[in-house]
Amino acid sequence: MVSAAMRNQTLKSWRSAEESLLGGMALALLAAACIWLVLGPAPAVAGYLIAVVLLFALLLASLIMMHLAGSTRRQMEAALEGRARAEQRAIEALHESEAQRKEVFEHNPVMYFMVDADGTVLSVNTFGAAQLGYLVSELRGQSVLKVFFEEDRDLVRNSFDVCLTDIGQTHSWEIRKVRKDGSALWVRENAKAVRRLDNRSIVLIACEDITERKEAENALRQSGNYLAEAQRLSHTGSFGWRVATGEIIWSEETFRIFGYDKAPSVTLDMVFQRIHPDDRAQAQQTIDRASSDGRDFDHEYRLLMPDGSVKYAHATAHAVTDVSGGVEFVGAVTDVTARMRAEEKLHEAQAELAHVTRVTALGELAASIAHEVNQPLAAVVANAAASLRWLDRETPNLKEARSALEAIVNDGNRAGEVIQRVRALVNKTADQKVPLDVNEVVNEVITLLHHELFSHGMSLRMELAPALGPVLGDRIQLQQVILNLVINGIDAVQPVTDRPRELVIRTLQEEVHHMLVTVSDCGVGFAAENADRLFDPFFTTKSGGMGMGLSICRSIVESHGGRLSASSNVGPGATFQFSLPMHQEDHRL
Amino acid sequence: MIGRSTSSRNVARAEEPIVYVVDDDASVREALRNLFRSVGLRVEVFGSAPEFLQSELPDVASCLILDIRLPRLSGLDFQVDLAKAAIHIPIIFMTGHGDIPMTVRAMKAGAVDFLTKPFRDQDMLDAVTAAIERDRNSRNEAKILSGLHAHFATLTAREREVMALVTAGLMNKQIAAKIGIAEITVKIHRGHIMRKMAAKSLADLVKMAQALDIQRAAPPQ
Repeated sequence: MVSAAMRNQTLKSWRSAEESLLGGMALALLAAACIWLVLGPAPAVAGYLIAVVLLFALLLASLIMMHLAGSTRRQMEAALEGRARAEQRAIEALHESEAQRKEVFEHNPVMYFMVDADGTVLSVNTFGAAQLGYLVSELRGQSVLKVFFEEDRDLVRNSFDVCLTDIGQTHSWEIRKVRKDGSALWVRENAKAVRRLDNRSIVLIACEDITERKEAENALRQSGNYLAEAQRLSHTGSFGWRVATGEIIWSEETFRIFGYDKAPSVTLDMVFQRIHPDDRAQAQQTIDRASSDGRDFDHEYRLLMPDGSVKYAHATAHAVTDVSGGVEFVGAVTDVTARMRAEEKLHEAQAELAHVTRVTALGELAASIAHEVNQPLAAVVANAAASLRWLDRETPNLKEARSALEAIVNDGNRAGEVIQRVRALVNKTADQKVPLDVNEVVNEVITLLHHELFSHGMSLRMELAPALGPVLGDRIQLQQVILNLVINGIDAVQPVTDRPRELVIRTLQEEVHHMLVTVSDCGVGFAAENADRLFDPFFTTKSGGMGMGLSICRSIVESHGGRLSASSNVGPGATFQFSLPMHQEDHRL
Repeated sequence: MIGRSTSSRNVARAEEPIVYVVDDDASVREALRNLFRSVGLRVEVFGSAPEFLQSELPDVASCLILDIRLPRLSGLDFQVDLAKAAIHIPIIFMTGHGDIPMTVRAMKAGAVDFLTKPFRDQDMLDAVTAAIERDRNSRNEAKILSGLHAHFATLTAREREVMALVTAGLMNKQIAAKIGIAEITVKIHRGHIMRKMAAKSLADLVKMAQALDIQRAAPPQ
């Protein structure tokens, strides 16, 4: 086709050369005719000669003309050839650019669509069609809606309308397209409506496959959603705190826990505003320490919400050092209110159970307790009778009467103390942990048990370590533990007849920070297979036992930060022992 | 209160009855001491049974007030130990919380009374008075008996033989016939017996013989 055009061009130039030649010849013939007309129809020799000359001249002129025409033709041909070459080059260049454009159009990894105002596909590039699983021919002439999901078609129409009313402006949107096989791909479409020469509007669309990005986005959003959901479910919010700038970032859940609306910036003040006034100083201390030493921290505090409700929060943070060497804490704050409430409930239930077992134990000790009260009462009565007699004498002996009365006061107090001790054990008390002398606690319990030991024919040996430091504990609860262990010891010794029935209570400093209370009996001991179950609730080897005693004891000891354990003696019997941490004045527990 | 007695009064109080108190509870012990002193009774208190046993017990009317609940050795066991050691002293038991088996055991073993703490002072004083009276009587009886034994020990074998027969109700003549001596000799023996035994009458001698259980002691010839 290219060579044909070139030939045409050449032919055209030939024709013009011939036209010039023929023109010349026609001119010569015209000249000859003129001459013939001048000379008239009667030719003479001279006329012939003139005619011959004229013909000759005409021939000459023709030859000259021919020559001229030939040279012109050659020139023209040369010019034509040059022009043709230029054209050829231009055509080649055009062709090349066209090929490139076509190349770009067809194979650029961008889908191109040209759609008329009715939404019919005027053209689509191969890549575009291929991406959608079609051949170009399958799309051309079809409605562009074919490649969109049913439910997205309105959106497509609207977007088209926007483009068509806003000609010349590029609009873009993200939408799903549907492949021939029904699968979806996400695209970002850049569309622009243009007016064609024929005044019809068409929409040019370039779309880029963003499926991967979209999936990544979705995955991110989903994981973000999962995280948010997880935070919401676990009542755990996250936070970041850049110490140097004071910048704090909260997650949605953290905002929720602290009862703030989501805000772009959070300040420490906002945090402290919510922390319960009673817990502020300690929280401040933790924060100050963390900001100065840049070490991980972990603390609990209460939040006093604007509606007056109280939440329990537990925050834990890990320190990370960023590239510039600044410290940033990344942490989690958990709303542990529900857990705390459950713990409180559990604690209440345990206290209730402890109380029941305590009262049960005291019931077993009724005789001993009566004895412990009767003892000072007997002294009171005897002293009172004595002082009356001293006074009734002819010369009243006031000195003796006074000393008897003083004894009454002491004995009365002593009886009162026993009653108080029993009442304390019978009462339901909230646990009050105060510094206690364990030896004193042991002695107090033993005063209630003397008779019990005696009536079971048992002797008691006490080896209490002198100058034992205090422990932080609840007097009644610890008394209950000792009471239980001693009663167990007495019961264990009952079947024993062939050896002295002895019970030994010892207190000793175990390590620097712990003390130990041991209760050893020489009784029947326990079977090795029961060793693990001794502390289980409802486990009992006694016919009348509830099986709660040791279980309660263990939970009491553990709530004091200690440990209760049992071991078989080398000789007969068993030893139950519990350790308690010593109370240190300068440490909060 | 404790070091009150002086040596001059000791002599005067030599015959005074003593109340012994054994209780491991100091306040009960001291209260009892007060009570008995307020009625003018001499009282000695001990914290444990061994302490009581180690102390010197004067030969005067006395009684022991014993707490049934004593460390290591219970009051009941102590009662048995005292009997084994032939220490006869009326025992009044005290207990903080009386129980029937213990009471029965104590009474069977010869306790004179059993008081439950807290007891009325008068009950305690009455019990002590009765116990001391009983002890005084038994001590008197023992004293008389030991006097009789001493007198009896001065009799010759023949005189003991005659005394057994006399107090058995035999006439002089019968005795003389029974042991093959003259009636007059029997009379002389009888005179010696009456004098040596410090008997005022035959009836008196019969009582003495009964106390000494002479019939058995007399060799049946």
